[in-house]
This record gives sequence, structure tokens and C-alpha cells, in this order.
Amino acid sequence: MSDSATPAPPRGLPMIPEASGALAIIGLGAIGYFLFPDDLAFLTRLIGITLLVLSLDLVTGYCGVATLGHAAQFGVAAYAAGIACVRGVTDPIALLGVGLVAGTMMGLISGALITRFRGLPQLVLSIAVGQLVAALANKLSWLTGGSDGLSGITPGKVFGLYGFDMYSRTAFLFSLGVLLIVFVVLSRFVRSPFGLMCRGIKDDDLRARMIGVSIYPRLVVMYGVSGAVAGLGGALTAISTGVVGLDSVSFERSAEVLVMLVLGGAGHLWGALAGALIFQIFEHIVAAANPFHWMMLVGLLLIGIVVFAPRGLIAPVMALATRLARKGDA
Amino acid sequence: MTRRATTVSALAILCLASGVAAADTIKVGVIGTMSGPYALFGKNFKMGIDAWVAENGTKVGGHDVEFIYRDEESPNPAKSKAIAQELIVKDKVQYLAGAYFTPNAMAIAPLLEESKTPLVVMNAATSSIVEKSPYIVRTSFTMWQNTVPAAKTATKNGAKKVAIAVSDYGPGIDAEAAFKKTFEADGGAVVEAIRIPLATTDFSPIMQRIKNSGADTIFTFLPSGPPTLGFVKAYLDNGLKVAGVKLMSTGDVVTEPDLPNIGDPGIGILSTYHYSVSHASPENASFLAQIKKGGGNVDEVTMTSVAAYDGARLIYKMIEATAGQRDPVKAIAAVKDMTWVSPRGPVSIDPATRHIRQNVYLREVAKVDGKLINREIQTFDAQPDWALSKE
Repeated sequence: MSDSATPAPPRGLPMIPEASGALAIIGLGAIGYFLFPDDLAFLTRLIGITLLVLSLDLVTGYCGVATLGHAAQFGVAAYAAGIACVRGVTDPIALLGVGLVAGTMMGLISGALITRFRGLPQLVLSIAVGQLVAALANKLSWLTGGSDGLSGITPGKVFGLYGFDMYSRTAFLFSLGVLLIVFVVLSRFVRSPFGLMCRGIKDDDLRARMIGVSIYPRLVVMYGVSGAVAGLGGALTAISTGVVGLDSVSFERSAEVLVMLVLGGAGHLWGALAGALIFQIFEHIVAAANPFHWMMLVGLLLIGIVVFAPRGLIAPVMALATRLARKGDA
Repeated sequence: MTRRATTVSALAILCLASGVAAADTIKVGVIGTMSGPYALFGKNFKMGIDAWVAENGTKVGGHDVEFIYRDEESPNPAKSKAIAQELIVKDKVQYLAGAYFTPNAMAIAPLLEESKTPLVVMNAATSSIVEKSPYIVRTSFTMWQNTVPAAKTATKNGAKKVAIAVSDYGPGIDAEAAFKKTFEADGGAVVEAIRIPLATTDFSPIMQRIKNSGADTIFTFLPSGPPTLGFVKAYLDNGLKVAGVKLMSTGDVVTEPDLPNIGDPGIGILSTYHYSVSHASPENASFLAQIKKGGGNVDEVTMTSVAAYDGARLIYKMIEATAGQRDPVKAIAAVKDMTWVSPRGPVSIDPATRHIRQNVYLREVAKVDGKLINREIQTFDAQPDWALSKE
């Protein structure tokens, strides 16, 4: 993964990654909205999970923290937003705020625990945190609905104007807007001194320590930021589907997003985006085409990609882009 | 059948006469557990529907009927809702059917009124589901329906102290409430009530708690699938049966495909249920023959295929009554006092609750001709849903 150190952006055009990210998301969103108007419910769900994959990328891709419990941040925020909505807070933006805060809190708590350790203990601890949250969500059924799920979430209108309906137009545009803002902010954030330092910690934490960086607080802060992003994803999912179930805190959810991240390429926001999109769209298509054996096809896709593009789908694209850029310079 | 044929042909003539394009396709979205640990029951939805279609054709009154299957996978309300939404918006289905798990059915319910789509629940067994929308009918069973006879049987068989162990979700809580209410009203005592998380795979600690409670009988419900087999195995392996603790359950716990795995130690386990594959009736014989003819394996048949078979009957009736138009009020009105003889026995839809009224049988696991079956030993006639009907 040492090739993940991207070349410094050319001076004079500092906003290029942000602008290209924004354009790409608007472009993809427009394709979704105009060409697949019947699939907006699925695309809305996809955006929620994409935020979780981006969030995971921040800790796993940029800081090298191995975690299989990342759904905790997502699920806690989804439940928080859902519960707030059931109890009377129906403004979608306020609900996003609730999710953001809940996700950040959960991120800071799990970060404080998980990043104390390295390697396998870290992985085990992340699973433990995830399982703990899942068990709590199941046990506190008076609050969360337990296995029956938390239902009856009916958010109000966005800006008091656009209501959520079955065709998911509002939900989709609302989610797309959130994704756009998050992606642009993160593009900037990962190139900030803080973001670059996290990357340095990942590449060689001993060296980082030698130059006087205290690692632990940085990782915890990064976990908090990551939790905020996951929290937005969770809140969006709660708002747009109107149901929060135990699946949102499950181990499967954590594992699945890790698979998406590795598939796309950890350590790049683009990789997280590509992995989330490709995996979910593929899964959606095969599950509809063959509801009986679709899991087998998903397995085959994963094996194929890991064999032919072990660093993720984004790696060959990046290499090509770099080569083209060099050619341009020459 | 002749009357049906007459109506169908009359409708067909009417369609032709009025110049309505008769070659339209009416789509029915079936949401079931098609993959994963509960795949057998989703497969049974398809077997039941296929059997009905094979017997009655793919056309109703000149309208083609197409069934579209989607995978609900596990208790995952968010996913089920998204799937239902997609079936309605994208595939433009006129009817929804299926729903193995209660949480999934509950999540689908709010979509029905806005989209004017009737839902035929083919499994999910919490009583209150039918109250969530006026467009829901159910052809499966409810926990109250099957549990009240279980509690009565337990009293009759001399049970004094019962330990209840149920899955910790809607239907489990219904089962616990139904058993407790009926059993205590008859003078029995519930000494232990355990709610087991759905994802549990190791039941030994639960057996230990039951042992310690001093109960003489266990009543249990878990959703059919891997947990039920695990529970019965733990009951046998932990020596409770040998110690004389009786197991009383709803039939979910001893579905026929699980019986070979439970094996001979399971002989004598009592259960109350609305359908046994070994039910002796000409309707059941021809139903099973049809499944075999369609390439299905009779050893895999469970209650969900019968619920799907009867559900398909309701859907055909609704299509016929609405002449293929989207009219949920008329569709539901057409089926809500239907009476027919199902492979499980005589049944009817209760007009007040839109839930099926049916015989519930007391069965015991027995070996007949070298094969383990649920032998029916007593019939409780025309049971309503005891929670909804307030009888």
C-alpha cells in the first residue's frame, strides 16, 4: 500500500480534487435521477452505505486501523435519528444533526478503545465493540424495537417544502446533497496537514513517533470524524427507509463495507466510492435476476477482483492516470 | 370448478366484447427467504405458487399473471421495505405476497395504502400484522391460533408447571402471551419465561435454566429453520426428555424436513399446528402429487407451500373480481369471506380480521413405514385468531 502516497497536488490549482469529486458525484447523480427514475429507492440506500464505506476508509485506508465493527457508528446514529423522529423531532436536517452527533460520540468512544491496540487485538476489539452495540440494540427493545425493528419513522418535509414519498425523489436528492458535501469536505480534509499526518502514521508509526507526533489522540480524533460521516449515512438511511433494523448494527454490515472498501481500493476516497457503487449495484442486479443463487455470483465477483486487482479496482485506474499525467508533463 | 370456469369464460367474453386489450400482464411480487439459512421456506413459497399455477393456468380472465420473486434473506425490515418499494415502483406489481418474517411484513405494510397494493401474507405470524393496513390478508396462521390449543392440551395432559422459551421478537412474544394467558386461566403455573435472541445457536444454557426451574413441561416457539432444529437437539441431548420433561410446541419446531435430523429420539414430541404434510385428505394428496409433478421434492414441503398455494388462490380470485384493474378495496372485499377446502383442511377468511380461520391439529411425532411424520391425533375445529377475534 506504499504507493498510496499521492503526488502533491500541483500548486496554483488547489481545488482540483474537490471540484472533480463534486462534478463526478453530480454527474453520477444525474445519471441515476434521469436514467433510472424507478430505482431511486435503491440508489438512496446505496448512498447511505457509501457514506459508511467512506467513513471506514478514513480509519482503515488512511490510518491503517483494522476494524470489523464499523457498523456500530452507522447503526447507533440510525437508531438515534430514528428514535428522535418517533419521539417528535421530524425535521430531516435536525435528524441529520442527531445522527452526526451520535455517530461522532460513538466514533470517539470506539476510537478511544480500539486504537489503543495494534494488529490482531485491535481487530478483535473492534468486533467486540460492534457485537456489544448489536446486543444492546437487541436487548433494549423498548427503545429500539429489538428484532422487530424500529418503525413508524416519518420525517417531515425538507426545508418545509419537499416531502418524502414512495418514489424517493426527495430522499434521493437529499442524500445526494449530503454525499456531495461530505465528499468535497473529505477531499480537502485528507489533504490537510492532519490528514497527511494520519497517512504518515499508517505508513510508519515508529517514524511518526520519532519526529514527535503523539499517535493516539490523532487516531481518536480521526475515529470521531469517521464516526460523524458514518452517522450521517445512518441518519440518512433511517430517514429515507423509515425503518431501522438490527441489520444496521450487524457484523455482516461491518464485514460487507470492509469488502466494498477493499474491492474499490483502501486509502483513496475514490476507491471507497467506486467499491461501494460497484459492489452494491452488482449485488442488486444479481439478487433481482436470480433471488435463489445470487450470493454465489457475488462470491465469484469478489474472488475475480481480488485475483486480478488485489489493490482494489481503483489502483489500475490511478496508475493509468499517473502515467498519462507524466506523459503530459514530458 | 365449473362455476369458476363459467365466470372466467364470462369475463373473457365480456373483455372481448368491450374491446379491452386482454393481453396485459398482471404482476405479483413475492418476497420470501430465497437464500440463506431460511431458504427452504422461500423455496416452499415458489413450490406452492407453482402448484397452483400448474393446476389453474397462467391466465385469469384473459390477463396473464406473472410472479416475480425477491429475496428477503433474514429479518431485515429496511431491506424488505426497499424491495417492496422497488417491486411497486419499478416492476409495477399489482399485488404483493410472501413475507416470511414479521418485522419484514410490518415494514412493508405502510407502503400498501399509498400504492393501492394488496398484500397476501404467506407466513409472518404476529396477530397485529393484519391491523397495520386494510389491504392485508393472511393465509398462514398466527401464534395465538396455534398456541391456545397447545396450552389446552398441556393442561389436559396434566402439566402443572411450565417453562416457556420463545424467540425474542413479535411472534415469540405473541406465543408467550397466548400460552401464559390460556394456561394460567386453566389453573396452571408458568415457572420460567425465557426470551431467546433470534441469532442464538447454542441452546444448552437455556436447557439448564429450564432444568433448574423444576418445570414438568416446556412450551416453545422459534421460527422454523436452523434454530428450531438446534432447540430440539439441545432438549434431547441435555437429557430433559429422559428426565420426563415434556416438550410442547407449535408445529414450527418440528417441521417435516427437520424430522429426519431429529431422528428417533424425537418420537412422541407433541405439537399443535394447522398443517401436517401427512394430513390425510384428497386435497392434500392431489396437492402433494402436483408438487411432485412440478419437480418438487415432497420431503421438503412445509406449511409455507400450503400458505402460498392458498395465497395464490386468493390472488387469482382478486384479479378475477377486479377484472385486472388496480382496485384494492374491491379485491379485498372479494376474498374476505371466502371459504374453501385447502390441503390443510376446511378454511375460511374471517371477514372481520382478514385472517384465515382453520382447523388446528394436535400431532405427535411418530414413525410410520420407516418415516418420521407428525401424526394428527386430535382436531380443534375452525380456530380463529384468538388475539384479533375477541371470541
